[in-house]
Order: sequence, then structure tokens, then C-alpha cells
Amino acid sequence: MMEKIDLVTPVEKAIRMLSKFDVDFYDVSASYIRSLRISIMGRGINEASSRTDIGIGVRAFKNKGMGIAYSQSLEEADIEATVKRAVSFARVSQPDPYFRGIPGPSKAPEVPGLCDKEIVSLTLDDAIRIPKDMIDSAESVRRDGMYHGGFNANYGRACLMTSTGVSVEIEKTVASAYIQPVYRRGDDVGSSYEFDYGISLAEIDPWKIGKKAAEKAIEQFGSKKIESGSLPIILSPESASSLFSSLLLALSGEPAVKGRTFASRLLGKSIGPEILEIMDDGTIPGAVASSTYDGEGVPKRPLKVVDRGVVLTFLHNYYSAGIMNVESTGHAIRGGYRGNVGAGPSNIRVSPGDSAIDEMISETKRGILVIGASFMPNMVSGEISTTIDEGFLIENGEKKHPVKNLMIGGHILNLLENIELISKEGRTFGKGHFFPSIKIREAKLSGK
Amino acid sequence: MKDLLSFIVEDGLNRGASFCEVRYFEERSNSISVENGVARALSAGILRGVGVRVIVNGRWGFASTNIPTKQDIKKALEDAISGAKSITAHTGEEARIVEVKPSSDSIIHDVKINPEDVSPEEKVKRVLELERYARNFSDRVKDTFIIYRDVVTKVIVCNSFGTLIEEVTPRTRVYCRVIAKEGANMQESFESIGNVAGYELIEDIKAEDFSLKTAKRAVSLLSAHPPLRGTHTVVVDPKVGGLFVHEAIGHNSEGDLVFSGHSIISDKMGHKIGSDLVTIIDDPTKNHYGHFIYDHEGTKAKPHLLIKNGVLVGFLHSLESAAKLGGEPEGSARAQSHHYPPIVRMSNTYLAPGDMTLEEILEDIDYGVYLSGSQYGYVESQKGQFTCKVEEGWLIEKGKLTEHLRDVAISGLTLEALKNVTAVGKDLRIEMPGMCGKSNQSMYVDAGAPHFRIENIVVGGRR
Repeated sequence: MMEKIDLVTPVEKAIRMLSKFDVDFYDVSASYIRSLRISIMGRGINEASSRTDIGIGVRAFKNKGMGIAYSQSLEEADIEATVKRAVSFARVSQPDPYFRGIPGPSKAPEVPGLCDKEIVSLTLDDAIRIPKDMIDSAESVRRDGMYHGGFNANYGRACLMTSTGVSVEIEKTVASAYIQPVYRRGDDVGSSYEFDYGISLAEIDPWKIGKKAAEKAIEQFGSKKIESGSLPIILSPESASSLFSSLLLALSGEPAVKGRTFASRLLGKSIGPEILEIMDDGTIPGAVASSTYDGEGVPKRPLKVVDRGVVLTFLHNYYSAGIMNVESTGHAIRGGYRGNVGAGPSNIRVSPGDSAIDEMISETKRGILVIGASFMPNMVSGEISTTIDEGFLIENGEKKHPVKNLMIGGHILNLLENIELISKEGRTFGKGHFFPSIKIREAKLSGK
Repeated sequence: MKDLLSFIVEDGLNRGASFCEVRYFEERSNSISVENGVARALSAGILRGVGVRVIVNGRWGFASTNIPTKQDIKKALEDAISGAKSITAHTGEEARIVEVKPSSDSIIHDVKINPEDVSPEEKVKRVLELERYARNFSDRVKDTFIIYRDVVTKVIVCNSFGTLIEEVTPRTRVYCRVIAKEGANMQESFESIGNVAGYELIEDIKAEDFSLKTAKRAVSLLSAHPPLRGTHTVVVDPKVGGLFVHEAIGHNSEGDLVFSGHSIISDKMGHKIGSDLVTIIDDPTKNHYGHFIYDHEGTKAKPHLLIKNGVLVGFLHSLESAAKLGGEPEGSARAQSHHYPPIVRMSNTYLAPGDMTLEEILEDIDYGVYLSGSQYGYVESQKGQFTCKVEEGWLIEKGKLTEHLRDVAISGLTLEALKNVTAVGKDLRIEMPGMCGKSNQSMYVDAGAPHFRIENIVVGGRR
């Protein structure tokens, strides 16, 4: 699937053009992504597609104002027009009092295992086995399903050069697969989904995904409404991931340091039990959110974010670090060639606790097991009001029946404070993220 | 470009495709980001390329490229054909479409003021002027943001039915966000105005309907309270109503979700699924943010009646869903860009007005919740379970709005909620310009409703 598209030459051309303008700083990024996709819809596989996306983006800074321009063409005339537009916009934009420049070059040891040769040379003919196996596996559990899902494989290269001397090239692959079966029994619906993703094809086990999705979907038959109340909730690793990812996002970059998130005031504060430890590590070999450098060319490094329940640090890019007069932690995220640079977590690892998930359930007299729900709060206030998309009522230590039309309300910090147990087993996503199950002492539920 | 697209279509047929569609896409955009009185970033972008879709051996193949040269589009055609062939031997969902008469047309939507004719300096000045109203409203206003964006989208659709359509659509939108703060209490509010329009949209904005309104709401939310959780009678304003219509029924009406078994109403055509008061329409011909004349399969757009007096009468169709469900394609297939195949999308979706005033809707409610302003929503269409996040609310006590509420969301089941609509107002407004996400594609849509009342809706909260 790989084509040898040269990214360095157009980026160098843009850099040379920019050097002739009276601007203070600039950076140029270009990327090439080749994607293969096989879609699943209805009775099975329905479409095979491929996509080649190329583009170049320019950021120019003048008097602390920023101009951004991007184009999907690497032709010289289009690069020139893009450069000129970025420069003219930089001159019109106004000084950002917090801007202190862009980072210079740093050397870091290469994070290995981020490009899978099997994906680089993958064809649609080769790829077909994965969606096919997912469907066959689901059908080995139950045969009358209708499906949505698919398999994606991306190979990408990117190049970043800056006026401060940064020159970075990266190459990365990622594969993902998911399937969502739907079964019907009269008006009753059994539906769920399962997925996996990683740097390499070898990490995707289509049989496991298909079987698990079908089994989870069947378990959803007979869902019932339950009454409003205050009950303990147990979050699966998948639903715990949205709770912890939201916390780390709220601790990231400009919004965090400018006091615009619920987490802005948490530095040095205790937010949960002593067993709560969260690392962010973008240097794990072969992990999906790893890279040698971040989106500004700053080396990635492991960062302990929460230790013994206490928040230790924000996750910085160069801009937010400048506001706090600290070093960037290597968490800049560049949205491809479109120029914008933000900040956010990489591989999030919540340390395992000492409980077993089975014990969490068996020791719960009445509560809710949450398999699927988004715990993304209002990032400003921290309030959560969310539907349990997939979950079970627990009674006397056993899963009683699936629930429907049930909501959880509360503040994310109350939920974190009320973490009672953390499981020793959990799920690793893409060789990087790790989330255990957690039990929260009490949550407010809205139902019938 | 049109000749090149026609050549590729012909080439596709010669190479064994039973259907071939080649679509050129170009999008030129400009944006300005203002934060706390500083226009700190201006940006511009050009996206353009070609997507090729074929049916070979009864299977779909699709490929796209950013390089719209003959050589690269031919390569995309080869990739699309080999893609379709790669899945031929594997059972799955057959590719089948209705045959339609060819269309040939060229549409350029008129604007009064072309945004390209307005200098960046003048745009910055106007956006700062709007932002100032929000910033100066109160010392409790912590942060103000306005994002301005103008975009011109050109789509050329050429297919093997002989269709050749070009449509150039300008859109302009401004989005305001205000964060208010008092002690540790922080609240935010949003407002968005957008349409298929030129820069005149920005000139015509009154700050009291936009930035000032956003600031007032953010500050007032500081003293609002979380709602009482539980099942309540709710009255929704046109924005929450629009979100409800979009999530609760709109997605379920999308033909591709219907034929693929992912809609809760897939077997309900002709059935009564709502109260007599529920009539729902999706109308791309109306001049709102989701407006277009031809969809991205080259089908001329018509208004779509989905539910009439509670009875399901229509689905939204692509060429494929019309073939599989026995309907007429009336222009509901759109794609985010050349990198994506067209899929069934809503346009401007709304609940038709009734004959009541808001006071009449409220007057016999002893205890309930009034919901105003939408943030976002989603639906699990296969289960018919939807969630709508709402900006603010008020308690309804004995027909009157009393306590101000914040952090409100509602969850409901489509087949119950539509039957529980018990009063519909006459004040229809369609004013939710935004982007709808589906199958990793984002698309311009709008939605609206008059005020209406729904019984037995789960309201989330922590009280």
C-alpha cells in the first residue's frame, strides 16, 4: 500500500520561502496517510475502500500573532500561495500576550516499534480476512445478526520543520477493527459492540472481537428500566477509560493553565484514594499513542500525573508551559497538516489495584455494572449527566438484568473521590493505555 | 474538470463497473479566532480532490485522491475497482441502487456579500465588535471566544446514469462561547449563527441575539441549580426540540441504518409511532445551514415527510437505500469530502408547528422541567435510546417557570417519547446550525421545532 511520496522537499521549499518574509517564527508540517478500509454493514462486508491524503500546513508568527494556512496540494505554486496566506494572516492577527515563541531542536532516543511492515505492504485482498473472521466469529455465536463495523489500516508519514531548527520525520502505522451486532426478538433488541486497535496487525484478534461482541449483544436482551436512586457503580475498563481520559484532558495545555477547566485548580490537590496512580507515557515501544517527539518536536517522556491520589502536574505543550514558566512535558498534539497545535495525553496508564472484578460484583448488594457510558463531563464545570448506554443491575452480588433509559449525574470530582476499589486486572489498549475496573461508592441515578 | 470526470466514468464502465460515480470536491475556508479581545489567529485552508465509487460484481469499491490529475484519478478508479473485486468472493451486503434519470445542472448559491471581497482586517474588526459586548457585560465574565468561519464548497458529481451536476455553496457561521466565574463556580454558554449565506450574515447580527445573549446566559447559570433527577414532564424550546427531533427520530429515518437493521423503526413503516401531534419533516430546500439543491449522488433534493400525524410515512434515501427499501431517492446522500462515499444524511429537520402558545403548553403542568438551548446529543439508533445535553432549564411549578437549572440532560426511548408528545406550539424556529457526525463523517445540518411538551422523560441530575 505504500507510495514513496516525498514530504521533505516541499517542506524545505516552504521553509525557504518563509525565510524571505519578515516574520518572527514559523513552522511547516506535511503529512501523507494511506488508508485501507473494509466496511461491514447489514448482512456483512459491503464496501472496500482506499484513500490517500496529503497536505501541507504553515504557521507564521508576527508580533505574537499567528497566521495559519494549509493546502492538500504539494505543487510549488500552491505551497507558495499557502505560505503567502499564512504570512499575510500573521500580520493581521493581534499579539497574544502569552505567546513566547516555538521550541527549538532536541534529541531523543527513537521509540521503537511504531511502524508495522505488514501494514505498510497490506492490500485489500490481504485485509479481507479480518472483517470476514470477525463476522464468522460473531456468527459462530448467533447467526441472525445485522452488523455495522469495519477494519481500518493506516500508514502515515509526517515531516515537521521550524524556524528554530526543529527537523523531525515520523512514520507510523495503526490498525483498528470493530463490530456491532444487532439481534432482534420481536421488539426486544440485543446489541453491543467490541473493538481493538494497535500499531501492528498482529495485535488485532478478529475472532476474539467478533465472539465477544456477539456474546455481549445477546446479554443485552431483556433490558429494563429501574427506579431513580443512589447506588454504587462498577465501571468496566472501557467506561473507566472515558473517566480518566477526561481528567487528563482537563489537565492538559492552555485550557488547564488558563483556569478554564474543572481541573485547573487541582495541582497538588488530592482527588481520589491513595491507591489512585496515573502515568502518562508516550515512550512505550510499539504503543498506539507513542512517538519519539510530540507535535512540536519536543521529546516525549513518561510523566506521573497522579500519585497517591494527588495531582502532580499539568500536561504541557510549549505554549502552556510558557505561561507557567516551566518546561514543556512533550504533550503537544498537532492536528495533521491543518496547523492547529493543542495538548493532550498520550498512553494513559492507571495503576492496577488489589481487587478482583468478580469480587467487586459479588460483594455489591445492589448497584450498577457500567459496560458502556461516556463520563466526559462539562469540561468547565466538571458536571456529568450521562446515559448508561450499556449496563446491568447488580442484586445480591449477581448481574440481574441489563438496564435501559438510566442516567448517571454528578460531579467528576465526586466520582473520583468516591473510588472505593480498583481492580488488579484490566484492559490494555493498543499496547499503551491501561485501565482497570473501578468501583465507585455511590452515584446518583435517574430512572423511572 | 467535468470532461476529465466524464472520461473516468466512461473508463470505469469499460473496465467492468456496472455503476461508476466520480465526484470532485473543493472547499476553501477562512477563519478568525478571537479570545478575550484579541484576534490571536487567522487561518485559511484549501481541501480538494476526487472520490471514485464503483459497483463491480455487485459490490461497492471506493477510492480517493487529493491529486486531481488524470493519472491519479485513473489510479483511484483502479483502486476502487480492485477494492470491489477484493470483496466479491465474500458474502455480505450486496450493492444495489435504483436507476434514475440523468440530471445536468450547475448551481451557484447567490450571496449578497462575497466573504472574499471583505478584507481580513474588516472581518477582524467586526468579530471584535461582537465579542466586546460579551466581555463587557459583567465582571463575572471570565473568558470570551468567537470563532468566525466562511467556507465555499464546490461539488461536481458525474455518474454513469449520465448525471453531471455542479453546485457551489457558500456558508458563513459564527460561534460564541463565554465562561463566567464566581469563586470556584464556573459555567459556560454557547451561541451559533450560520446559514448558506455570505458575509451579510455577519453584518446583520445583533449582539443582543448573539454574543451579549451568550454572556448573559453564562452569568445567569452561575446561580442556577442542578435539576431534580427522575422522570418528568418536560417542555422543550425550539433548540432542544430540534436536537430531540434530530436524535430521537432523524437518525432512525436514515435509509442506510434502516436497511442494515440499525434503526428501531425499520419495521414500522405505516405504523403509528407518535402522537397525532407529531409531524416531522426533513427539508433540504429550506434556506438554513443544511440547505442544498442536489445531493452528492446528483439527485435533486425535495422535502421529505418522515412522520405525518404520528404515522411513519417516509425514510431518507440514497440511491442504495431507495433500491433496498422500495422508495424514491429524493436527495439525502452526502459526503464530508472526496475522501468519503456519500451516505444518508439529514438536512434541515424539524417538527411541524401546532397551534398552541408557550403559556398554553405550560399552564396545566403541575410540576415539570422546561429545557432551553442544546449542546449536543447522540442516539443508539438500533435500540432507539437517545441522549440530549441541554444548556439550561427551569422548574415548572403550577404552569409557571420558577427555579433556574443547569447541567441538564435528558434520555429517552424513541418509540415511547414520540407517543408522549402531548402539546405542540406554533412558534417554529430552525436555528441550530451545526455539524452532525455519522460513520466518521461530519456534515452541515440544521434542526428546529416549535415549543412542545413530552411526558415521562428521564432528566439526569445530581439532586
